[in-house]
Order: sequence, then structure tokens, then C-alpha cells
Amino acid sequence: VKCTSKSRVIPHKPPATALSDSDIISTVEFNHTGELLATGDKGGRVVIFQREQESKNQPHRRGEYNVYSTFQSHEPEFDYLKSLEIEEKINKIRWLPQQNAAYFLLSTNDKTVKLWKVSERDKRPEGYNLKDEDGRLRDPSMITMLRVPVLRPMDLMVEATPRRVFANAHTYHINSISVNSDYETYMSADDLRINLWNFEITNQSFNIVDIKPANMEELTEVITAAEFHPHHCNTFVYSSSKGTIRLCDMRASALCDRHSKFFEEPEDPSNRSFFSEIISSISDVKFSHSGRYIMTRDYLTVKVWDLNMENRPIETYQVHDYLRSKLCSLYENDCIFDKFECVWNGSDSVIMTGSYNNFFRMFDRNTKRDVTLEASRENSKPRAILKPRKVCVGGKRRKDEISVDSLDFSKKILHTAWHPSENIIAVAATNNLYIFQDKVN
Amino acid sequence: MLAKGVKRPRGEMEGGDPEPRDPSAAPASSLFNISMVKLHQSLRHVEPNLRHLVLVANTLRRMQDQMQREAGGPMAPDSPEAPSVGDDLLLSALDSSISTMLEDLGQVEVLSPARPEEEQPLAGASGARQELARTSAPCLGPLELLSSASYLLEDGLEDIFEDIDTSMYDCDLWSPTSLSGFKAFSGAEDSDSKALAGAEDRLDMSDLDYLMDVLVGGHAL
Repeated sequence: VKCTSKSRVIPHKPPATALSDSDIISTVEFNHTGELLATGDKGGRVVIFQREQESKNQPHRRGEYNVYSTFQSHEPEFDYLKSLEIEEKINKIRWLPQQNAAYFLLSTNDKTVKLWKVSERDKRPEGYNLKDEDGRLRDPSMITMLRVPVLRPMDLMVEATPRRVFANAHTYHINSISVNSDYETYMSADDLRINLWNFEITNQSFNIVDIKPANMEELTEVITAAEFHPHHCNTFVYSSSKGTIRLCDMRASALCDRHSKFFEEPEDPSNRSFFSEIISSISDVKFSHSGRYIMTRDYLTVKVWDLNMENRPIETYQVHDYLRSKLCSLYENDCIFDKFECVWNGSDSVIMTGSYNNFFRMFDRNTKRDVTLEASRENSKPRAILKPRKVCVGGKRRKDEISVDSLDFSKKILHTAWHPSENIIAVAATNNLYIFQDKVN
Repeated sequence: MLAKGVKRPRGEMEGGDPEPRDPSAAPASSLFNISMVKLHQSLRHVEPNLRHLVLVANTLRRMQDQMQREAGGPMAPDSPEAPSVGDDLLLSALDSSISTMLEDLGQVEVLSPARPEEEQPLAGASGARQELARTSAPCLGPLELLSSASYLLEDGLEDIFEDIDTSMYDCDLWSPTSLSGFKAFSGAEDSDSKALAGAEDRLDMSDLDYLMDVLVGGHAL
């Protein structure tokens, strides 16, 4: 794994503004070409960055990301029936593939999914008949001739407009959205149900998974993540709080309560504890770009599964096994419930996930080498090379190592993204976005 | 030494750690208490985090099983590990409490009818695309009222304002820019509202009705 460098730290707000809870980044996603990078935050805002065109004049500014558009996607809502406020926090953003000049993305909070169109305007019409240049209405009786308005260039304006609002279909909290490879449908998953939507239809959705028991007192398992297969539009997977993954085929039946494949690793009896189930709960599931593998993240590990082998993963990577002896305190302070995401690189050869103390980890599947890096201002001067970090688990602590007890558990990296084809990564550390690129010699 | 991506036995990790090796050997009663507190805190929310709730409840059940196994094991009644009568009652009450708490969550969908028996699932995904059935999530109907925007625009809105004297408010209050959700056309709204103001001294009730109809009817984006 090459050491990355050329970091850019992008605070979610200009430095002069007071930081608040609402600036915490809650999702990060590159679009299909990697030209755009979207972030969503706890305050319901979406910020889109665009990669600069590479120019010969400034070769060192190879494709930096700058703010392209900012808009308020979701507002806090009040549910009068239940007397509760619905959070505006953006849980997930997913891009649609580009089909015309405009960009489209889906963004969701706990209850409502929205389709946003982001488009550029660089011309405006001038020469209206019914109003003058200041916008004042002209007296129609004074108009003696008609002219055709002409389009004149103007400063580039990027505007975001909500094109569809998919509401009122989820009783429980939405944790995932996934665009289907047919580009006509997408799914949204909450704790107990998964719904299939057509982009054109907002007042109906088709329920494809329902694990709500007849009696809620029998509830022992919830859906934690779901994703469509990248190529087969009839196939999707969803993960559960019990550490299982189900692969479903929508051709088999309309309501996919019966899975086609069931992935579960048997519990290791030597590691059994009260917390076994909690740490086995899967927080993220992602298909590889090839569609041959799925990757899952639970509290301490990342696992790679071959779709053809259901009884155990083919690879298991320890993210921060030194936490295994700390599970009690992590349970007390609720950190054990943190939901980390995981991502593949473009060629499916490297996987990346976050940890605490603003550390994030990369695992090379071929060489089996791994590295721990840190996303922090002190260590990330622009164009500095990131230094690998190491956690000392006992015995003598070497210089530059950090002991487990010194880790800052409030600095968690839950959301990361990898450019679809290049070695550029985006790492969200609370309210800061870090973008790292591979060093070019 | 870089890790090789295989599960390392936990024995390698320990190094003079003062905490007990096995997390489950931590005083079970304190873990139990912590879990009960978490469960209660979770249920105090109107819409609890279901994943958190289920995981804590399952962990509590595990502890309960463990404690019951220890209680039912071959132990002398006067041995220090034998649970007291109080613990027994607590354990037996635990299961029913958790069940009751979870059952109450079912009240979340209390307004909805049960899924009708005659609702047949459609044959296949392609059939689904042509005839998208109304979602079988039972509470779609009542939930439509829950979106705050549509709730505010229900027919009862005028009744709410019946007794309020609006004569002190000038008609600028009702200019298109101040109404949420009203898509204003750039550059035009100022002249429009001024035109309205110029045309009449105040908006009368028929204009207000018309505006409300536009808002209720023009919901689609």
C-alpha cells in the first residue's frame, strides 16, 4: 500500500464560523466518474465538491477538489401524531450515473428520500416583453412591438433543485439507499423493511423485505444495511444486527422474505462473551466493483465474502483487535454501537475502513499488508506525506506509538470514500473532510 | 510487524492488562444494571433506536440465561454464589418486562389496519414495475398525515384561525415569497405582489382560498 500524500483539509464551514453539532459530516460519496464528491451533515446540508480540471500552468494543483454547490437537503420536521422531531441529519447520499448535463443524487434522512438535480446555468434570458430590465412590469397597453428574448452569458451558477420527494413509506429509521443497475429503481431500507421505488413514482413503493415479527415482543434482529448488486438488477443483499447477510433475488418472489443465500460465520466459542452479538452486528455491507464479493464491517473486523461460499468469509481483517479487552467500557459509553463504514478501491484490491483517534486503516488483499493512517490537522500539512501510525498494545511503548488508553474515542472515522478509479480517498473526521491523493513522483 | 489479515488469538493481545481477561467475567450485576439503564433510556424516546434497543435487550437475555444457569447449577444453597430470592424474582420478571417493552413498540403502528389477507404479492419484479402496489407497510394511510407540511394544509386550517382578527396584518403577509413551498419565479415576485397590492387594498377571503388551493393542489415538485 503506497503512502498517500497531498492532503487537503476542508472544514465544513469557513474557519471564522462557530462550529456546532450540525457540522458533523454524516456521509461521504464520490460520483461514478469521481469528478464530484458529496458530503452530507447532521444539519441536513449537502456540500458537493468538484475536481478541478488539470492545467498545464499549475501542474502541482493536480485535480484538487473545490466547493461546487451547497444546499439544504432536509429540514427538521415535526411529527405531530407522535410528538417528536424528525432529525434532518443526512444518513446516506447515493449518486445516479450521469445521463445528461445535469447531476442527480439521492439523499435521505431517517424518513424521507429526496432526488436532487444539480445543474449549471451560465446563460440568462434578456429582453422580456412584459417586464423591463429592472423586473418591473410594463403596462401591456404601452407595448407596441414584440421582441424575442436572447440568451446572454452570465457568471456560472450552480443550482440544486429537488425533483422528487419519496416520503411516508418508512415507519422505522432509514439506514441505506441503493440505486439499482437498471437506473430506473432504487431501494431504501429501514430497521425492519426494505422498499423498492421507481424514480418516477413518489406516492407508491413496493415492499420487498419485511422482517417485522407479528408480535413486536419477538423482535430480536434488525436490518442494518442493504445494497443492490452492481450488475444484476434483480439481486441485492442486506445485513443484520446478528452478523448475518442475506442475498435475495427479486425474480424468485415479490416479497423477498426468503433469501437465496445466507452468509454467516459460526461463532468462535473461545471468544464468546456477553458482547458477542453486539460486536458481530454488521454496520456496513458493500459489493465489490466486480460483483463477485461482498465486504462487511462489524465492530472489530472487516470481512470479505465470496458469493459462492456462505459458511464463512474468505478473508478477515482485524481493524482494532486491541479493543477486545475494552469491550466492557466501550459498552458503557455506547462506543460499541458505533457504525463504521467500509469501502473498496476501484480495482477491489484494497479495502479501507475507519477507527478511533481519527485513525483509518487500509488492507491490501493481495500483499496482505495493512497500514494505519491518521486524519488530523497536525499531521496533514498540504502535500505532506502521511506517516503510518501504530497502536501499542502492551509492553514497552516505542516513540511515535500511541497506547490504547490514550486513544481518543470521541474522534471516530465512520465515513470514508474511495475514488472509483484513482487513488484518491475522502475521509470524514467529525466536522472536517480530508482528501488524500497518491504521491506523484 | 504488520498484521497478516488473520484472526489473532486473544492471548497475544493481553499484556499486563489489569482488567479481567474475559469481559463476561466483569461483575455481572453491574453489567446487568448498566444494561437495564440503557434499555430504559432507549425506551424513553418516542422512536427508540431499534438496533440499539434490540442489541441491549438480547445482551440482557444472555446475562439472564447465564445467571439462571448459574442459579440452577449444582451449588449448595448456602454457597456464596447462590442467588438470593430477590435475584430470582428479578430474573423472572426480566423476560416479561423486555417482552412488554418491545410489544409497546408495536403500538407505533396502532392506527394502521393489519395487512389485509387478500393482498396477494405480485408475481415478479417486472410485474411489480408495471403495477406498483400500494406499499404493504400497513401505516401508509395514517402516515400520510404525519408529514408536517400536508398536516398543516388539511381542511381544518381555516377553523384554527377563525377567531383571529387579521385586519391588523397588511396583505404583504400573503405575498408569494413569504409562503413556504411556493415556487417563486426569479425577478418577478416583487412586481407581482406590488401589482396585487396596487390592484386591491387587501386580499379578500376568495383570494386566500385560491392561494390555499394552489398550495394544497400543487404538492408535486
